[in-house]
Amino acid sequence: MALLEGRNLQKTYRLSRTNRVEALAGVDIDIEAGEMVAIMGPSGSGKSTLMHILALLHAPDREARPAGELRIDGRDMTRLYDRERTKMRASQMGFVFQSFNLVPTLTALENVALAAEYAGVAARRAREGARDALSVVGLAERAGHRPMELSGGEQQRVALARSLVNQPKLLMGDEPTGNLDSKRSADVLAMLRRFNAERGQTIVLVTHDPEVGASCDRIVRMRDGRIVADERVVRGVAARADAAEPTESGFGVPERRLAQPTAAPS
Amino acid sequence: MRILRELSRRKLRTALTITGITIGIWALVVFSSMANKINALVEQGTEFYTDKIIVTDGESFGTSPMRLDDATTIAELDGVAAVDPQVHVLWQADGSGADFSVPDMVIGLIPGADAGHETFDLGLATGRMLTPDDTGNVVVLGSSLAREHDVVAGDSLEIRGETFEVLGTLQPTLTTPDANALVPLATAQRIYIDELPPLVADALVPEELLNQIVVYPDDVGAIEALAADIEATVENSATMTGAKFDESVGATTMIFNAIIIGVAAISLVVGGLSVINTMAMSVQERTREIGIKRAIGGARGRVVRELVMEAGLIGFIGGGIGLGLGALVVVVANEAGRTSGTVLFELTTGTGIFALAFSTILGMVAGIIPAWSAARLDPVQALRHE
Repeated sequence: MALLEGRNLQKTYRLSRTNRVEALAGVDIDIEAGEMVAIMGPSGSGKSTLMHILALLHAPDREARPAGELRIDGRDMTRLYDRERTKMRASQMGFVFQSFNLVPTLTALENVALAAEYAGVAARRAREGARDALSVVGLAERAGHRPMELSGGEQQRVALARSLVNQPKLLMGDEPTGNLDSKRSADVLAMLRRFNAERGQTIVLVTHDPEVGASCDRIVRMRDGRIVADERVVRGVAARADAAEPTESGFGVPERRLAQPTAAPS
Repeated sequence: MRILRELSRRKLRTALTITGITIGIWALVVFSSMANKINALVEQGTEFYTDKIIVTDGESFGTSPMRLDDATTIAELDGVAAVDPQVHVLWQADGSGADFSVPDMVIGLIPGADAGHETFDLGLATGRMLTPDDTGNVVVLGSSLAREHDVVAGDSLEIRGETFEVLGTLQPTLTTPDANALVPLATAQRIYIDELPPLVADALVPEELLNQIVVYPDDVGAIEALAADIEATVENSATMTGAKFDESVGATTMIFNAIIIGVAAISLVVGGLSVINTMAMSVQERTREIGIKRAIGGARGRVVRELVMEAGLIGFIGGGIGLGLGALVVVVANEAGRTSGTVLFELTTGTGIFALAFSTILGMVAGIIPAWSAARLDPVQALRHE
């Protein structure tokens, strides 16, 4: 059983009475535990919408026929109340966004601790956990700084620390390297790769950066609200070892070949 | 306290929000204090009349003044504890009284006639009170008169062209007695008879003349019955009691109250809107932050609660500062007004507590609406908000 199972996921935005945008036109997707998956595609292809639905930030359309299904660990998510979906996000998922999305008035430590508190951890233990998470991303000594006082790369590492403080099964990234230069991008990717390797976290990234795609295990390509290709990235052992350590060139781009490209189901 | 730290990190925004609330609450405090003072003055009037009956010569306007005999008659009635016969004349002979302020009065009385029943306390600023042994042109001055003529005990001044020796001056009471000059009864009687029409005056004996009798009852509860009894017994007399005072002043009081309630209501609305506006703006600016918190797993209720607590605290701080500044205005204005005898404000504990509670609760209510609507958005929408 896949960790994430999506069936006939549809999403239509009603911008006005007559103007509807079909962002997702019925997507089937399975993501196995321990996978690191990139969702790629041009703007407007529905990749962010898909990730938001998988991350329980959006609900898929209820009008879809056959009814859309979304299961995490075999548990149906489509009929959950907001309160339960919020709880799932707090305890089972971590989030990394393009614009970092840290709370500006909180220090790095408080930002990370907040996620732990939302997951039900007592304040003191949340701070301890936050301190540990910040050490993992190498920012222990910047814990007392507020986002404004940190560089973009540092902010994204704080966001990474926040995404892993609750040791979630799933880590969701929406263009996590979109606002970073190549060196910082490589750092962030290397960390994600490490979380995946060492903690077995399942990672889903939305990106249009080919290097990000290349460092994942699998690339799901989208266009016009449908999946048009599902590729497996195969790399040598050396490349995997490489991935944990960023190199001069920014990242050890692995050799890859496309495996079983599949047509989009419709 | 994390909430305080967070406020201090958003200095400008917080300062502006607090300022907005401060102004509203300041206006509220100042206007309420003014309303309090006017209410207090009216109540004081009622209180002054509650435990006594003022007997005057009714509708005769001095053509048939009362006599000392009338006082004796009243004293013999059942239920009368003490009788204080007085003569009231205007300080200035030509004082037409076409003035809203309390006219300066010369009051002739027999010191101690109230037999300790008068509860209104007159404190001495300088010199001594009148005694029954005082005669002739001696006077104890109310504080306004003493200040106006710049005299203390031992000085002398002119009243109606006659020189009076000042025996004492009184502490300010901020009401009628400040404009009263107390003289021996016989002195006032002489002044009074001089201004009556000669035809009337000729028929009168100065020593028997009165135009006001203050009657203290044994039982305050039976005051209305006693007043009726007096009117029936003494010819050409009219009585004034607390209830009658309320009746006659009632209409005026109601107009005053309407003005005051109007002013208070306006300040409440202005203050309230200022609180709501600033709070709503400052919370709406944080829609994106709400989105972040919701995305990483903050439950709606919790995220809203955090903001509402913050809004309440801002309201409380703004209210506190507004109350402080309002109190400052009240104290300064009263201090300035004291020298001219016009104390306009009275800041009560109730007003202070109300101002604080009002700003805190209104801050929370004003915060809860935009916070809730932001928390209701799905997190992605809230995150896109700039």
